[in-house]
Amino acid sequence: MRNTKIIKIPLIAAPFAAVLSAIVPGLGQLFSHRIKRGLLLFFSFISIIGLFLWRLTLLAHRELTYADKFVKSFSRQPMFVIFISAVLALLWLWIIYDAYHVAKGRKTKGIGIFTLVLLLFFSLGWQISEIDVYKMVKEFPDAWPPLSRILWPWEAAVTRDTSSVEAKAAILADDSVNPPPIPEYIEGKPYIKSTPTYGNMSTLDEKNEAVKGSVLHLEGSGFEPDTVTFIYWEDSIGNEFRPRQDGEYISLITDADGSFTFDLVMPYRLTPPSAVGQQIHHVHARQTSDVGPLKPSEPLLLTIELMLETIFMGMMATFFGIILAIPLSFLAARNLMSGSWITITIYYIIRTIFNITRSIEPMIWALIAVVWVGLGPFAGIIALTIHTIAALGKLYSEAIESIDPGPIEAIQATGANKLQTIMFAVVPQMIPPFVSFTIYRWDINVRMSTVIGMVGGGGIGFLLVQYIRLLDYKSAGIAVWFIAITVAILDYVSSKIREKFV
Amino acid sequence: MLEIRNLTKIYNDGTVALKNISFKVEDGEFLVIIGLSGSGKSTLLRCINRLIEPTEGEILWNGKDVAKADGRSLREVRRQIGMIFQHFNLVKRSSVMTNVLAGRLGYVKPSSSLLHHFPKSDRKKAFEALEMVGITDQAEKRADELSGGQQQRVGIARALMQDPLMILADEPVASLDPVLAHSILGYLEDINKNRNITIMCSLHYLDLVQQYSSRVIGLRDGNLVYEGSNAEIRKMTDGEFKEIYGEEAVRVNAGSLTGGDNA
Repeated sequence: MRNTKIIKIPLIAAPFAAVLSAIVPGLGQLFSHRIKRGLLLFFSFISIIGLFLWRLTLLAHRELTYADKFVKSFSRQPMFVIFISAVLALLWLWIIYDAYHVAKGRKTKGIGIFTLVLLLFFSLGWQISEIDVYKMVKEFPDAWPPLSRILWPWEAAVTRDTSSVEAKAAILADDSVNPPPIPEYIEGKPYIKSTPTYGNMSTLDEKNEAVKGSVLHLEGSGFEPDTVTFIYWEDSIGNEFRPRQDGEYISLITDADGSFTFDLVMPYRLTPPSAVGQQIHHVHARQTSDVGPLKPSEPLLLTIELMLETIFMGMMATFFGIILAIPLSFLAARNLMSGSWITITIYYIIRTIFNITRSIEPMIWALIAVVWVGLGPFAGIIALTIHTIAALGKLYSEAIESIDPGPIEAIQATGANKLQTIMFAVVPQMIPPFVSFTIYRWDINVRMSTVIGMVGGGGIGFLLVQYIRLLDYKSAGIAVWFIAITVAILDYVSSKIREKFV
Repeated sequence: MLEIRNLTKIYNDGTVALKNISFKVEDGEFLVIIGLSGSGKSTLLRCINRLIEPTEGEILWNGKDVAKADGRSLREVRRQIGMIFQHFNLVKRSSVMTNVLAGRLGYVKPSSSLLHHFPKSDRKKAFEALEMVGITDQAEKRADELSGGQQQRVGIARALMQDPLMILADEPVASLDPVLAHSILGYLEDINKNRNITIMCSLHYLDLVQQYSSRVIGLRDGNLVYEGSNAEIRKMTDGEFKEIYGEEAVRVNAGSLTGGDNA
């Protein structure tokens, strides 16, 4: 009897089915008892139309009627509009033909018609996600400067101590009464003097246009010969900056005697209202040079420091995760909890909590944890722990569910008590999956903690985001390299350990 | 001596696995239970050492009712009754030695056994048990590295560690090929004859039943439908066989081992 197939006869004649499908795509198929096929075609057709109208609205948001929108969209993206319209029309005709075919009771496969549906979804997806291969290829050179720095950042990993030679002279700003004296000249020491020692700073007029300040004639001597020398300006409250002249930072090269002369336009500087009385600024001339051996640079040291922090964040989160996941996993194991309706309710509640918690990414938990305990690694640990409990809890409970009852039976039959049965029959079966899942999770947690810093959760991600925002791609590159190396090592080690336990 | 009186088992889902079964097993017997899959053979064997709780009836083991035993006294009964299984039920990731030593769990101090500490005498005994089944060289291997036949021999060694008065064997050769089946049943026969340990064993193949049993009982749908001596089973008629294995069953005899499963 089981081989007998009940053949349902189509309810309506074939031409009528075709007409029905012309009005409502899929309706004809429905009447021929091809319910899944009819519904699938119907929903595919209307969702494609819906998506198409949505894109037309976006392309021509000022036009009011769909006809106008269509025309405007056509002028903006003719290929897209023509293609979708044509294939959609083809699909419609095909559905009508298919309804006729099906109502005749002929065998159908439907590969062609559903390929067409997929093609439409794919083309819409291409347009919706704004894929632009031309732009990607054309603008690749823009990606090269950061990319090359990130790929090979090691020049920034080392640095040398610098020593500087400098001299300064006092300048009275916006006044000419009691100007400061020129500095005292000491034989053999670098020396700079300004003529005069007072003048007006550059300012902005009512139209916000720059008004140049007084020109100071600088004369320096006693510096290293033939060496780049930078001019710095120190304002009346001691803040130093490099002034620009004609848009460029000022740098000079000393002559063979170690002397230079330069005409400096007094720069623009807003001084705070608290600065009252005589406004004494200083002009500095400074030469810096690298001295001593190579040593690790600050970005390198910071990266190593935060990488260690990251690894320990992952470790601590895994540790707390295990401790909390083990007891919960027993409550989420169906074979242990199917006893009564109370236990099965607990099982469902815990399972549901696990599933919801797991579906929220650690990054999002980190955003909440940052509000909770503030920026820093602790927030990251909380976020990772929450996610770990849910993920490990589910894996552990599945390991408990898949335990082989045979050995338990056999050990019980020897006259062993409950504890002995657990130690001899249950624990040996649980250790391999538990160890394997735990190591795997530690691996994931370190990986996650490298990025969790991006939302303020501590670890190396925090540093990486800072460097990227400062456009310091070389330092960012160092962080990226360290993340990659750590993750690769961890991946290898964890897979080796897991191999041993499976 | 084991005496079963009016044993009934009804599972929670309402399945009646055993219906009012009564029979006796004398010391030193090799009792074989035959019957289709699902006829209640496994349930019967597991009721005897209470791996499955009987619903009604008495299981008199040397005068004591096992059905009423609990806690310590149940464990004492269990350690007197060894058991071997169709799928061997070894702890796969533990060593062969640990699996065999587990047979002593009913005897040793629970606290020290939890740390896998066993007396020297037990280790010597385990070695002797492995020697008896001829796999001393495998002692330190993991149980799942052994072949099926070797695993079942470990199962026998584990049962022997209990110094049992009786061994229950639940289809011990159903997962093994014909040659190994004879080898395993040979060990059981040896244990039965030379150590005077009662064997209660469920089997599918009639020629094995005819060769090894001293007495046979047959189950069908939870009812005891046959009881006969070895001589009687050797003369078993098709009618009687159908009574046990159902109308659609075809008689299988010598040579059946290569021919497939029961019936």
